[in-house]
Order: sequence, then C-alpha cells, then structure tokens
Amino acid sequence: MSIAPNKPLLEDLAVGMALPTAKFGPMDRFDYIPIALILRDTNPLHLDRVYAQERGLPDTVQQGPLNQAYLYQYFTNWLHQPWDLVSTEIRFSANVFPDDHLYCGGEIEALESGDEHDLVHCRVWQQNEDGTAILTGKASGRLPKHR
Amino acid sequence: MTISSTTSQVADRKALIGKTLRTAHYRVSCEDVSDFLGVMSDPYDYVAEAQHVAPPSFAPLVAVLGLLRTFDWASDFWFDYRDGTAMFGEQSIQYHRPLYVGEEVEISAVISDVYEKTGQNTFDVVQLAFTIKGDWDGDITMTGKQSYILFK
Repeated sequence: MSIAPNKPLLEDLAVGMALPTAKFGPMDRFDYIPIALILRDTNPLHLDRVYAQERGLPDTVQQGPLNQAYLYQYFTNWLHQPWDLVSTEIRFSANVFPDDHLYCGGEIEALESGDEHDLVHCRVWQQNEDGTAILTGKASGRLPKHR
Repeated sequence: MTISSTTSQVADRKALIGKTLRTAHYRVSCEDVSDFLGVMSDPYDYVAEAQHVAPPSFAPLVAVLGLLRTFDWASDFWFDYRDGTAMFGEQSIQYHRPLYVGEEVEISAVISDVYEKTGQNTFDVVQLAFTIKGDWDGDITMTGKQSYILFK
C-alpha cells in the first residue's frame, strides 16, 4: 500500500492510499485535570484512580473528547491548513488510560475535484498499543488547487 | 417527569423525538484554550488570545460541553445519571468556519432520534441534532449530530 504524502494536492493522491501514521503519548493523568476544567466535568472516573478501580477499571479513564483531540490534530495537521477540515464522523469504541500510547492512521476513501478546491474523504482510526480500536470514523478536508 | 428504569416506560423515550432542548452558550475563553494548548502541544503556533483562531482539535470539546448544557439527564432524557450509566455514542460534525478565541457560541439542539439496541446489554440511543453559531457574525460554525447511550 502506498503512503499519501504530507500536504498533497489531489493529483498526488489515490483511493486506497494510507495516510502517514502518528504516535502520541504516553498519556498523562495530570492532563485530565485541565480537560475536566474545560469540560466542566469533574466526574471522578476521570480524576480518582481509586474510584475508577472500585468500578472495575484499571485506572482513571481519559476523557473521550481528549482522545478525539489527538485524532483531530493528526488529521488536520495533514491538511494544508487545519481549518480545511470539512466534516468528521466518530465512533467511540474503547477507553484510554494513563500511560497508553495512541496511534492514529487513515486511508483515502474518495476524492472529489471541485472548481475552487478539491475534497479528500478518509477513513480514520485511533488505536492503543495493543491494537484495540479507540476511535473509528471518517474525516473529510479541502485540498487547494495549487501549492 | 418521573424517572424510571422499567422497560415499558423507558421505551417511551421515543416520545422525546422532536423535542427542542434549551439553548446554551459557551465562551471560547482564552483560559480554556490556553489550558487546552498546555495539554495538546501543536506544531501550529496557536495563540490563546482573543480573535485568534482556535485549533480545530478544540472543536469536539466545544461540541461536547456545549451540548451537555442543552439538556438535563432527568427531565429531558428521563435518565437517572446518579445510578445509571451513560456513554457518548456516535458523533458527526460539519465545520462551516473556524472557531475564534474569545467568541461566544450559541448551541441549539433537538432530539432527532431515539432507538433501542441490544448487545451484551440493552440500551437506548438518544441522538441530538445540533447547530453552533458564533456571536461575532451570527454565522454557523458547526452543525452535526451527537448520540448518547443510556444503559437500561
């Protein structure tokens, strides 16, 4: 399988091409505090290890929107400009815990040529180091006509 | 509205389809964006100051926290969050323009679908259709759908 280049134009891409993969981490439990403050969500599941373990979890659970943020950053930094982002569809599949590493990847599903800009539609995913799917979904972005 | 976990009454959640939820507001504050950038280092040099563009990776947080302000688990979803288990389900978002630091966004939502699914457990999926507008220009920044899984 060929790998799509960074900052590509439509003519550089083909359906089935893999996006370059990226690794994030290790995840840090102390990052959950500012995210809890931003979300105004102080659910102890995200902050209290004992509370989480009493409920059968190995550790505190990383907030889902933070998992998403890593996948968004991965995809939008592949685009020419981050806000070339057009749409996302995300399914939450599994939890992330402190010290996990996150691996993000994707594959081109469709390409569209337009008058002002082109569009790339991708399948995207995020996994932990065990290969467990954390997030799966789709993301689309605009591509400029010229560099 | 009485909260109940009995199967017959929970099935009544289909009656929620079409319900308009309360409008909520959230300011994309410098403090929140600064805290976020402290967690998510980024090769782009985002600035947590008013009128600068926010990173798109911040967008899902705005959608999530904004939507959580549009409903009450008990009165809108007939769900007891103290005893029950709820999870995020699928989310789809269309991005119409960037988010800017300092702007206040208005989040409006309607319950667009409710359905029951059975796997290892039986649960209801409550789906919201939402629109997020910015106060600077009144333009739509995001539209989309977010579902919540309510275990029975």
